[in-house]
Amino acid sequence: MSEKQQTQLFYPLQPGAVFDGDWFGGKVPRNIEVGENTVVDSSFCFKHYFSILPIGLKIGSNVTIWRASLAAEENAVIEIGDYCYIANASLVCSEKISIGSYVLIAGGVTIADSDFHPIAPAARLADTIALSPVGNRRKRPPITTKPVVIKDNVWIGYNATILKGVTIGAGAIIAPGSLVIEDVPPNAEVAGNPAKVINK
Amino acid sequence: MRENLIQTGLISDDGRTFIEYDWYAGGIPPNVRCGENVYLDTSYGFAAFHSERDTGFELGKGSGTYDRASFIVGQNGSAKVGSFTVLNGSTIICNDRITIGDHCLIAWGAVITDSWTNFADEEKRRGILRLAAKDTKRRLLPIEKSRPVVIEDNVWIGFDSVILPGVHLGRGSIIGCKTIVAEDVPPYAIVVGNPARLIRYLQPDDTPEAIEAAFVKYRKK
Repeated sequence: MSEKQQTQLFYPLQPGAVFDGDWFGGKVPRNIEVGENTVVDSSFCFKHYFSILPIGLKIGSNVTIWRASLAAEENAVIEIGDYCYIANASLVCSEKISIGSYVLIAGGVTIADSDFHPIAPAARLADTIALSPVGNRRKRPPITTKPVVIKDNVWIGYNATILKGVTIGAGAIIAPGSLVIEDVPPNAEVAGNPAKVINK
Repeated sequence: MRENLIQTGLISDDGRTFIEYDWYAGGIPPNVRCGENVYLDTSYGFAAFHSERDTGFELGKGSGTYDRASFIVGQNGSAKVGSFTVLNGSTIICNDRITIGDHCLIAWGAVITDSWTNFADEEKRRGILRLAAKDTKRRLLPIEKSRPVVIEDNVWIGFDSVILPGVHLGRGSIIGCKTIVAEDVPPYAIVVGNPARLIRYLQPDDTPEAIEAAFVKYRKK
């Protein structure tokens, strides 16, 4: 009987890597570009990564990714700078999500660049058919997407949500639980649903 | 893995159905009725399903329950979900009646409840916790009379939203994510934020012709 590999808390993130002792037992996609000393806890982070672009994830050095979901659709690109810390958050990317350097993303955070479903009633109803057990999931009605940009030195609190088309200026703080639907100016602190600037 | 539950399931002596691919051993209770071509991720969502009604839960054809979609149904509760509705990691807490229509999208973390509104009476609250401690199934009884919830066809409830007892959501309406809904929502309205506010109305373009065309276009060939 072969001895079970000891699970490590973090593994160095490399394209195509398979981690010894990974509880999920998946594989890191090949179409990613990673800097030095960037780590991830499990291949589970890539369970919903389906980008088919030459590079679907571009990530810098000294980044920590722990229990996060890097979900990307076929033509999606996620960009992450250096020294970011992403803990137990979901990045749901249909087109493009760009995150600068020294960004902290806390637990329960969702960052999405699409609406997930069409807004108009008829198209939305069509989507329920496409998503159903008898539907064709690869052919869904068009869904609006708009890239999300998060600049350097941003801190995002627990359970905050950043929705499509939002740009968060450098140094901003997003309070826990916020729902951010419009741009946040640099160095602002926002809170609430919908999020409002609170440090003026 | 998306076959009809009834076809793939194994039925036990007590009438429970076990799904072949299920990681959870609880099984689907016998008073859960599914239409054709439904998909159930796991029976885990029925762990706290205590309905003693003939039909405690109904899932219409082509609907699916995904991830941790949960059905916390009391002894007298009965919930009905229509056709082609997606329950993706949402929770239904039903002690009387919750009705969800066709073509609805219910996102993760959303809670739809017909009970648990009045928390004012401290002695009542303590009493319910004492009763739960005595019950081997640890059921929490509703604090006051439940108020049925009705969700009409083609409603989209965003993630982490809460639909409170007695609420009626009109056809085609959208509830934004993290919205707490305590009042009725008119047809085709978009309601967002906390506190919830109605921001606009949609064009009611989901005509019978549009529905027919959608089936032709988006159904698996």
